[in-house]
Amino acid sequence: MKSKIKALCITTMLSGMALSPLPATAQELLIGLATAQTGNLAPYDQPSLKGLEMAVEEINATGGIAGKFPIKLIIKDTRSDAAQTALAAQELIDQGVNIMITPCDADPSIAAGQITQAAQIPTFSFCATTPTMPIAVGDYMFGNYPADNVQAAVLANHAIEQGYKRAYILKSPDSAYTLKLPEYFATSFKAKGGEIVGEGTFSMGQQDFGAEVTKIKALNPAPDVIMTAAYEPDFPAFIRQLRSAGVDTPILGSDGIDSPTTFGLGKLVEGVVFTAAGFATEGSPLAKFNAKYKQRTGQEPDTNYIANGYDLGKVIEAAVTKADGIEPTAIRNAIASLEKVPGVTGPITYVGTQGMPLRSVALVRIKDGGRELVSQGVPAAADVPAP
Amino acid sequence: MDMFLQQLVNALSLGGTYALLALGLAVVFSIMGLINFAHGELMTAAGYGLIFSLLLGVPFALALPAAVVVAILLAVLMERVAFRSVRGASGTTLLLTSFAVSAIIRVLFQNFISARPMAVRIPMALSGTIEIAGLHLGIIQAISILVTIAMLVGLNLFLHRTVLGRAMRAAAEDFAIVRLMGIRANAVVATAFAISGLLAGVAGVLWVAQRGSVDPLMGFLPVLKAFIAAIIGGLGSLSGAVAGGFLLGFTEVFLQAFLPESLLSYRDAFAIILVIAVLLYAPQGLLARRTVVKL
Repeated sequence: MKSKIKALCITTMLSGMALSPLPATAQELLIGLATAQTGNLAPYDQPSLKGLEMAVEEINATGGIAGKFPIKLIIKDTRSDAAQTALAAQELIDQGVNIMITPCDADPSIAAGQITQAAQIPTFSFCATTPTMPIAVGDYMFGNYPADNVQAAVLANHAIEQGYKRAYILKSPDSAYTLKLPEYFATSFKAKGGEIVGEGTFSMGQQDFGAEVTKIKALNPAPDVIMTAAYEPDFPAFIRQLRSAGVDTPILGSDGIDSPTTFGLGKLVEGVVFTAAGFATEGSPLAKFNAKYKQRTGQEPDTNYIANGYDLGKVIEAAVTKADGIEPTAIRNAIASLEKVPGVTGPITYVGTQGMPLRSVALVRIKDGGRELVSQGVPAAADVPAP
Repeated sequence: MDMFLQQLVNALSLGGTYALLALGLAVVFSIMGLINFAHGELMTAAGYGLIFSLLLGVPFALALPAAVVVAILLAVLMERVAFRSVRGASGTTLLLTSFAVSAIIRVLFQNFISARPMAVRIPMALSGTIEIAGLHLGIIQAISILVTIAMLVGLNLFLHRTVLGRAMRAAAEDFAIVRLMGIRANAVVATAFAISGLLAGVAGVLWVAQRGSVDPLMGFLPVLKAFIAAIIGGLGSLSGAVAGGFLLGFTEVFLQAFLPESLLSYRDAFAIILVIAVLLYAPQGLLARRTVVKL
């Protein structure tokens, strides 16, 4: 046994020696991940990473991208802290990464982006949705998720189609997502002839909506629809207290509420409509992906962030194939020219954008405790409010 | 007027939760001069206790006490493992130890349970409303107010009617004398932690019932609020903690209710300004004890 281990050690050492000079210099694509394994972004970054790792595994099993560029991930935990994200990004650049991936939030992504932009390393945020993020950083920064203003436009179109005239928006100044998405919705909704009859605010994590709910109940005329980008724990607390107070106004939400907790609320959330990055209709690529994920890990994929992380692997594969090399600037230019990359959540396009990809948004209604697809697609450019 | 009464009920419910948490902090502080920032993790532990008891098939009515027991056990364990060895050390050491305990427990939750929030299936019967004289009272809200009152009365009885309770009140005054009277220090401190665990567990269950999920970081914000409440009331004063909790709850709800829309985003700033005003008027807090004697 011992000699076996020894032999294994020696072979590993030898193969390491034999291989290491080659890939590190020319062939191996180094992807640096300055993302959160702990802290408040971990719930989004961890599943995204799982998806990405699955894509990388598949690509490497075929000898790497286009059969010649195997991928190596270097992962550093940022503890969900913006300063630590910048530090991790600097360390990864020093290790010579060709592509950088940053957390699911615009703030740490912008902090890291300042460094990667200067070093000219193409950078993706796993799932930040703030449309101004790439504009704030520069032309090496890219998103990997439908932007807030795109989601808002889809929701506003739906509200108008349903014949809603008066809307109430509930927002929180604590994050760009919870503040701007309802504001984009208001812009879009007003542009189409709707009226905003009230605005409420909340503090994230506060989860006491008694005061706000009492105000909504007293509104005259009552709103036809309530739109919010609140997510856990605020969204469940809000809808529970709203419905408890006897208000049954329809609710429009955003992709943040697509979680088991929301569905665990049972009939309280019946009829809620929200945006999602993808929808697994039978036989769709997403359904196949979910089945594959379950088979490989034994776990039900409980969030779209897994598929979204997997799609980032596909985007990188497409870009490196197109650049036919691993030189960062060439990869950056290739990303910016990508069109309709077939992701499992739908086609992904970067050409003609300012860094946030054009990708389809699914509109989902909660029905009988399950998901029902309302519509899926990319909204018309004219409908999307300016970032 | 109806709106005012409705908001009063809202304030009572939120203030009650803050009061329970602040009381948990104050019980431990009064005995050993420690501000336990890991108090929030006791709430989280109660939440996970609830989830896992339900997963094991325990009926909901039994899962609730089980969740509270988990919080009590963790509180006692915390004392035994982390805080006993630094008992009597400087306030800074105690504070840093509690931060460390809090951070370690949070990372353990994230890496060994789940970084993503886990849903708790709260029975639908609890989502209903009771209507009393035109006032809508959510069932969870009503339970939360009742439980707060019951806990406060119960704790009061314990502190005044039992030997251990009296020993705890005496220890808050002067621990050295209490030990000279033949009371075991370990018993008093462990009881203080058990009580704080009980209070955190109950508050945790009420908190989770509102939000419907448990995530590893959920304890941070409420414990911060409880800390503010305890400061307003006067650190170490039990009645002060309760008063502070209700005052903070009332302030938050009424600011939310009656601030004009354009100023609403500054609600927390206004609340904190009020806290500063209270502290300018009473620097030791509203109901401060005159002396703080440490172990």
